Amino acid sequence: MELNKLENLLDTIITQSESELTSDLKYTLNESKKVLLKSYDSLENEYDKIINDGKKESDKITKQILGSAELESRNKQLAMLEEYIEKVFSKVISKLENMTRTNAYSKFLSSLIEESIKILGTSDIEVSITNKDEKIIESALNKFTTVKLSSERITCLGGIKVRSKNGTMMLDNTIDARLANMKPLIRKEIATKFGVNN
Amino acid sequence: MAKSGIQYSKIAEIKGPLVVVDDVDNAAFDELVEIQTTYGEKRLGKVLEVGNGKAVVQVFEGTTGLSISQTNAKFVGKVMEMPVSEQVLGRIFDGLGRPKDGLPDPIAEKFLDINGSPMNPEQREYPRDFIQTGVSVIDGMLTLVRGQKLPIFSGSGMSHNVLAAQIARQASVVGTNDEFAVVFAAIGVQYSESEYFRRSLEESGALKRSVLFLNLADDPAIERIITPRVALTVAEYLAYDVGMHVLVILTDMTNYAEALREISAAREEVPGRKGYPGYLYTDLSTIYERAGRLGGKNGSVTQMPILSMPSDDITHPIPDLTGYITEGQIVLGRDLFRQGVYPPVNILMSLSRIMKDGIGEGRTRADHQEISNQNYDAYSRAQEVRALVGIVGKAGLTDIDLKYLDFGDAFEKEFLTQAVDENRSIDETLLLQWKSASLLPKNELTKVKDKFISMYYKSTK
Repeated sequence: MELNKLENLLDTIITQSESELTSDLKYTLNESKKVLLKSYDSLENEYDKIINDGKKESDKITKQILGSAELESRNKQLAMLEEYIEKVFSKVISKLENMTRTNAYSKFLSSLIEESIKILGTSDIEVSITNKDEKIIESALNKFTTVKLSSERITCLGGIKVRSKNGTMMLDNTIDARLANMKPLIRKEIATKFGVNN
Repeated sequence: MAKSGIQYSKIAEIKGPLVVVDDVDNAAFDELVEIQTTYGEKRLGKVLEVGNGKAVVQVFEGTTGLSISQTNAKFVGKVMEMPVSEQVLGRIFDGLGRPKDGLPDPIAEKFLDINGSPMNPEQREYPRDFIQTGVSVIDGMLTLVRGQKLPIFSGSGMSHNVLAAQIARQASVVGTNDEFAVVFAAIGVQYSESEYFRRSLEESGALKRSVLFLNLADDPAIERIITPRVALTVAEYLAYDVGMHVLVILTDMTNYAEALREISAAREEVPGRKGYPGYLYTDLSTIYERAGRLGGKNGSVTQMPILSMPSDDITHPIPDLTGYITEGQIVLGRDLFRQGVYPPVNILMSLSRIMKDGIGEGRTRADHQEISNQNYDAYSRAQEVRALVGIVGKAGLTDIDLKYLDFGDAFEKEFLTQAVDENRSIDETLLLQWKSASLLPKNELTKVKDKFISMYYKSTK
C-alpha cells in the first residue's frame, strides 16, 4: 500500500517535471527563435552595410584610377601639342631671321617709328636697330627729321628699340617683342589648326 | 590705356612692396607693369596710384634686390588677365596663375580681367539647390546652396585645411547631370599643406575636375592679393561660359587680409581697426560678391572662404567684416577640436542663412529642415544640461535631462564625428539625424510633423 503511494507520488513528480521541462523548452525555443529573428535583422543590416561600404570603396577606387588615367593622357597630349607649337615657332623665327630686307620691310620700319612716336608722345627720339637693318634704315628714317639713329646695335630679328632724348622712356618695338606679346594668341591659332579648342 | 609698352627708367623710390616711378605719362589705375632689372629679371606688378607724373606700382613678387638705378618699369597697357579655357581643369597654378605642374600654359580660349566683370544686379538669381559635400554636419544642418558664399571660421592649428581638402574631394551636385568643378585657392599656406592639398586631390581622382592655385607662405605676400582673383576668374569662366557648377574654396583669407595690411602700411594709409585698411570691407566684398548665379546661365559660383580667427576672436575685423558680406558661417570650435571631434563644427554658433532654399522635397528630402531644427534645438538643450551637470552633478538631473545628455553625446559621436575619407550621402546623413533624435522620447520631438515621426523615428527601446 505504502509502496503504491510512493509510486503515485513519483509519477506525479515525474509528470510535473516533464510538463515543466516541456514548457521551459518551449519557452526557450520561442526565445531562441526571437533572438534568431532579431539577429536576422541585424545580420541583414550588417550585410547591407558591408555591401554598401564595399560599393563605395570600389566607386572611390574606380574614380581614382579613371581620374589619374584621364589626366595622364591629357597631360601627354598637352606636352605633345606644345612640342609642335614650339616647332612652328622655331620655323617662323628661322624664316624671319633669313628674310630679305625689301622695300616693304623699309615701310614696315617707318610704320614702327611712327607708332613709337605716337606712343611715347614725342618725336625727339633715338632709334636702335640690328646690324642687318643698317642699309635699309636710312630710307625709313628719311621722313623723320627729329629722329636720330643710335650707334648702339641690338640683337633681334628685326624692328626697332626707341629711347626718348632724356633717356627716361624706352619702347621695345622689335619683331621679337611683338612676337612675345602675340605668342598666347598665336599659340591658340596653331592649336586650333591642330584641332584643339575647336 | 592706349599707350602700351613704354618702359620708364626713372624710379623715384622703392619702399616695401611698392615702386614709385617718376615722369610717367598716362599710366592707368590697375594697369599691369613689368618691372625689369638690368640683369634681365622680370617681375609683375600693378598700378595702385597715378598722378602728378608719378605712378605707384605694387610689385607682386616683392622688391627684394631691386635698386633705383638698375630698375625699369614697363607699363603693359592692359590690366592683369588670366588665360582661361576648359583646359585649366586638372591643372596646378601658382598664386599668380602661372603653371606649377611642369606643363605648358593652357591654350587660352579667352583672356579675362582678373577683377571680373561686375554682375548686373538685375541678372542675379537667388541661390538655390543643394551642393553635397559628403560631410554630415554641413549637408545636414548647414547646407551649402549653389551660388551661396558660406565661410568657415577657424582658429590656428585647427583642422580647417583637412576639412577644406575633404570638401574639395567629395563635393558634388546630386540629382542633375550638370557638370561640377572645384577651384581651390590656397593663400599663404605652408609647403606641407600645399602638398597635402595637391596629393589629396590627385590621389582621390578629383584633380581632373579641379583647378588648384597654390600661393605658399614663403611666396611674396603681395601675390596673395592676386590669388583669390585669378581663382575666381577661372571659376566665373567655367560657370558662365562652360555652364558648370563651381565651388571655390579660398584658404586662408586671413593671409589675404594680412597682405592687404602690408601694402596699406607701405602706402602710409591711415590704419583702421587692428591696422587693417579702412577699405577692408569693400575689398573683401569685391571677392565675396563674385559668388552667385546669373539669369539665363546654367552654371553657378559658390564660395567657401576659410579664415583663421586670430586668438579665436570672432569679433576680429576679418571674421567680423566677412560675416557682414557672406550668407552665414560655419564656426569650428576649439573645445570640440581638443576632444578629438572631426570636423569640430560648433553647430550652435554656425548658420547657413539660405539653407532653406537648397533643401526639402525635390532637392534633398521633405523632412530635412524639420529634423535639422529638431536636432539643433535638442543639442542646444544638451549643452545646457551639460552645464547643469557641472553644478549639480548627474544625480540632480531628471530622467528627461539624462536623455538629452545621452542625445548630446551620441550626436557628437555618431553624427558630427566623421572620418576624413568618409563621404556620406544625404540619405545617410538624414538617417543619422533621425538616429540621434530617436534617443529622445517621441513627445520631445516638437519641431517635426507627426507623419515624419511615424516614417523615420526608430525607438531604441
